[in-house]
Amino acid sequence: MHTFYKGAPDVVVLPTSAAETAAVVRLCRQARVPVVPRGSGTGLIGGAMAPRGGVMVAMTRMNRILEVDLPNRCATVEPGLINLWLSDATRAHGYFFAPDPSSQMVSSIGGNASTNAGGPHCLKYGITVNHVLGLQMATGAGELVWVGGKAHDRPGYDLPGVMVGAEGTFGVVTAVMVRLFHVPEGVKTLLASFSSIEDASETVSAIIADGIIPAALEMLDEAMVRAIEEGIHAGYPKGASAVLLIELDGPRAEIEAQARRIEEICRAHLALELRVSQNDAERALLWKGRKEAAGVIGRLTPNWLLQDAVVPRSRLPEIMREMLAISARHRLVFANVFHAGDGNLHPIICYDDRVPGELERAKQANEALMHACLAMGGSVTGEHGVGLDKAEKLPYQFAAADLNFMARLRRVFDPDTLMNPGKLLPDHPACAEGFRPAAALPGGSWV
Amino acid sequence: MVVSVQAARGALAEIVGSAHVVSEPAALEGLAVDGATPRWAARPGSVEEMSRLLALASSERWSVVPRGSGSCLDLGAPPARVDLLLDCRRLDAIVEHTPADMVASVGAGLSLAALGAALGRHRQRFPVDPVGGASRSVGGVLATGASGPLRFRYGQARDLLLGVRFVQADGSITWGGSKVVKSVTGYDVPKLLAGSLGTLGVIAEATLRLHPMPPASGSWLLSFRTPGAAAAFVGAMLDSTLQPERLVVANAGALRAAARPAAPAAVAVSVGSIAEAVRSQGSELVRMGREHGAMVSDVPEDVWLELGAALAGPVRLKLSGEPARLCHWLAEVERLAGEASVPVSALGDAGSGVLWLSLGRAAADGGWLAGAVGTLREALSGEGGNLVVERAPRSLKDHLDVWGPIQADSLAIMKRIKREFDPTGILNSGRFVGGA
Repeated sequence: MHTFYKGAPDVVVLPTSAAETAAVVRLCRQARVPVVPRGSGTGLIGGAMAPRGGVMVAMTRMNRILEVDLPNRCATVEPGLINLWLSDATRAHGYFFAPDPSSQMVSSIGGNASTNAGGPHCLKYGITVNHVLGLQMATGAGELVWVGGKAHDRPGYDLPGVMVGAEGTFGVVTAVMVRLFHVPEGVKTLLASFSSIEDASETVSAIIADGIIPAALEMLDEAMVRAIEEGIHAGYPKGASAVLLIELDGPRAEIEAQARRIEEICRAHLALELRVSQNDAERALLWKGRKEAAGVIGRLTPNWLLQDAVVPRSRLPEIMREMLAISARHRLVFANVFHAGDGNLHPIICYDDRVPGELERAKQANEALMHACLAMGGSVTGEHGVGLDKAEKLPYQFAAADLNFMARLRRVFDPDTLMNPGKLLPDHPACAEGFRPAAALPGGSWV
Repeated sequence: MVVSVQAARGALAEIVGSAHVVSEPAALEGLAVDGATPRWAARPGSVEEMSRLLALASSERWSVVPRGSGSCLDLGAPPARVDLLLDCRRLDAIVEHTPADMVASVGAGLSLAALGAALGRHRQRFPVDPVGGASRSVGGVLATGASGPLRFRYGQARDLLLGVRFVQADGSITWGGSKVVKSVTGYDVPKLLAGSLGTLGVIAEATLRLHPMPPASGSWLLSFRTPGAAAAFVGAMLDSTLQPERLVVANAGALRAAARPAAPAAVAVSVGSIAEAVRSQGSELVRMGREHGAMVSDVPEDVWLELGAALAGPVRLKLSGEPARLCHWLAEVERLAGEASVPVSALGDAGSGVLWLSLGRAAADGGWLAGAVGTLREALSGEGGNLVVERAPRSLKDHLDVWGPIQADSLAIMKRIKREFDPTGILNSGRFVGGA
């Protein structure tokens, strides 16, 4: 974890219905108390923390599937439903829920919608917003609203489109209607190892330039591979400087031909070793290391910072070189496991907070890397969100007029800025957000 | 600044140059927006000029209507008044295209045809093929939320809009989104702008996600003896592992308009992939089609243009209910139109359930349309569906609610958004939902 902010809510409320949730928000609005929505609490950006106290509304008890509508290829769920549970419930019928953040075994769909979560397969399938048809929200303005629904192309502004990813600053999501996708005919996973991170990065660009959009295209560097091998023995090639994990899915004829082409591209870029899964068991083994990477970080370092910035895909080789330079300059080890196909970096900056000054160096390295990404035309966050961690970084990417537009948009939904205050938007003059200190909860409150 | 009528032309010319201001009555007549003739038209050559024009309009409380190619100027309720027509066609540059990133930033006035030609040289494309064709401008397509058959595979234009530079009503130049394919930094402002019909700001530049041009493609037309058989085939396709790029239901009227062999209903499918996959998917869909009693023919890519042209009638409606009920709604429309002998061409996107209807002259001449629209809307309301009158003669539109009813809680939020960003209501005043 890399969120250094601390702070506990004054009260935690666990509603069991949308009506209860809306009543809590309305009460807090009357009392001018901050409301902090929370799903499974797996976010990496401090988005579900309560640094200013207030009422935390935890959605874990609202975890039912309300409807699966296969003819319309959609499902309506309560926000606390665990992401993977939806695919588990629909796979027997040939369907699945495509957004797959690495935390999908524990993260909630309401949280995914609030942060507009990504995942390895969003390279092909898109991020959460591309899968949300409608949602219900208890807004900071005191309403309980349903926007969107099964019928597409509703006249008017795209409210679900802009409410997804609002990170709880518009209100608390109380139900989500999502698309279901048909499972593809075939899936094929390839693993390729390289003697340099540049070769691996060039391979990523070459695959995309060839007109192939894999379902997932992930990269792991030497430090990460070593930790995975020591920790869980996933069978990754030892001694490689970089490993690419490439997944194709779709009609069999398409993925067979694409897999052959990718093998050629990998060889042309001097791949040391190439493995192609022949069945589900082999595929699962190739993914094992990637999926459990977070669990082995403890073998690398007592403490770590995680960056989530993005660069244009074509700048990958350059940013990887820059990263080596930053790591050397700050005398810190960086381990990498990231979504190379869409340029979304996840360097894990290792440090030991028992060593004086190391935390400061880690923070500086983190900052330097983000600036390098932005200088290449990138973005502050690719999939984790802004939250508390990166709110103050928004002015690096947006001008005052842009921030002002966002701040005004927020006030449409939350006129008193009580919803998840301090998250997503910076305390910047352009936002004129100015958090208003809350009163204490009124006596006799039933919460 | 208060500008007299006489001085207005000079003020506009000072911003964009005299050659780019239109103030002659005859020329302005030709630029009328759904019957409302603008007092002036100006063609900004940069986002800064657009900003100065809007700042001027804002201070003068001029009602402003943005336009791209002009193909959709009759979308929405007719404006009560147009002071300034903001013609975006000079903003037609490809600002940036990095083929390796499959991202391009382009001026709002660039036509889809010009964009397609430039991208085609790199075997890439912006896979959006709206009703109205490739002469439409990128900004217009985004602002009107237009889409076509390729949405089945690639989504709508909003799904491919990564970033947007726009000018707010007061002239503020604003940027939303990013220039990379994956970003969740801040609110998704591009989603808010897409489909907002220029009521929150005027799009000046768009950063688009591109896709590779498939190395091979094929199209098939499957004709069915009954609409029910076509519906069963569509269901089977959606439940299969085939991955077409387009899957469109066409009625007899659309086939007739496209000069295709007559049939009560047909399904048009295209597949884009590598050659072997196009062949294998093609043979599988032909097999499935025959199993459902279809007459199957390979058709050239032109079929998509021909079918699109079938929607060129004087009255066009866009109907959206539950996707699974697409063929039900098509049958309902045919029944209503048949009773009144109104010719109807219909194309439906099987993925989203959106159904476009082009009604012949009989609808435009009679009072039948308002009744049919009301009947359909009432029936659609049971499943949260909607019907938009996308095009109709002005004489009919004056008696129609072109957008239809909007759910009260959504409308309340939409009105607050409009009030926040265009408090004096100068942008496309009165044309959008709820009179926004």
